[in-house]
Amino acid sequence: MTISATTQGLRMGVATSTSRPTVPFDGQVISETDTDSLVVYKGSAWAPVSALTLITAQTIGTAVSSVTVSSAFSATYDNYQITIAGGVASTAVNLGLQLGSTTTGYYAGYPRVTYSSGASNNSADNNAALWSRAGVGSSNSLAANFYLLSPNLAKNTVFQTWYNDLDTTSVGGTGSGFANNTTQFTAFTIIPNTGTLTGGTIRVYGYSNS
Amino acid sequence: MTYKVQIDDLVRDATADEIAKIESQRSEAQAEAKAKADKASAREALLDKLGITADEAQLLLGGM
Repeated sequence: MTISATTQGLRMGVATSTSRPTVPFDGQVISETDTDSLVVYKGSAWAPVSALTLITAQTIGTAVSSVTVSSAFSATYDNYQITIAGGVASTAVNLGLQLGSTTTGYYAGYPRVTYSSGASNNSADNNAALWSRAGVGSSNSLAANFYLLSPNLAKNTVFQTWYNDLDTTSVGGTGSGFANNTTQFTAFTIIPNTGTLTGGTIRVYGYSNS
Repeated sequence: MTYKVQIDDLVRDATADEIAKIESQRSEAQAEAKAKADKASAREALLDKLGITADEAQLLLGGM
């Protein structure tokens, strides 16, 4: 069977996550308006067509010292990717990351290399108040791309990030660690270690469980 | 010092508790940065005292 058009598209069934077809068939696809996603029925349950779904995009305000995204994590997804792009910081900053209202028990190692010399420049969070290097900011832009595994499960949350300073004399590297806490988090907060943030977007993606 | 905090789309002045928390976290970060800078200065001073470069020190320690 061939369906072809050059000026029109195929329109799926349109529903919401609470008004899905009551007698679905295997392989049926619908477009959900409340989750902005295509979902497919896989024999016994509905699942996103895409493995990675944008959950929320939060625009950062003007000259703020912290940004909380309050409905980021849920039982729908076990694992998440979070990016921060655009915007500026008032000065060179590290972007810290805190889960919910938990202010202790953050552990991470950050193996890093100095751009100019290739020398090691490692650092760590040892039972810290937050993960200190989830990303960076400068007067040019904000930059973060990190992963959180199991933040909404009653398990330790695992944290993995890329860390790349935005000036020629600094360092690039990675980071990974965990939160020594089994709270089922729904929110996170981005906190610069100095100065303020203006503009840019925090995007939260969920990895499909099925 | 005043701070603005953002919760989703709402931007407001930080409460006293939030200000204390922000300043505590920032002082920890500054202490860490100072410790790192002090360590780098001490290293430079030692290299000067020994009259060798950082690369030469690496060679002495068996590094590349």
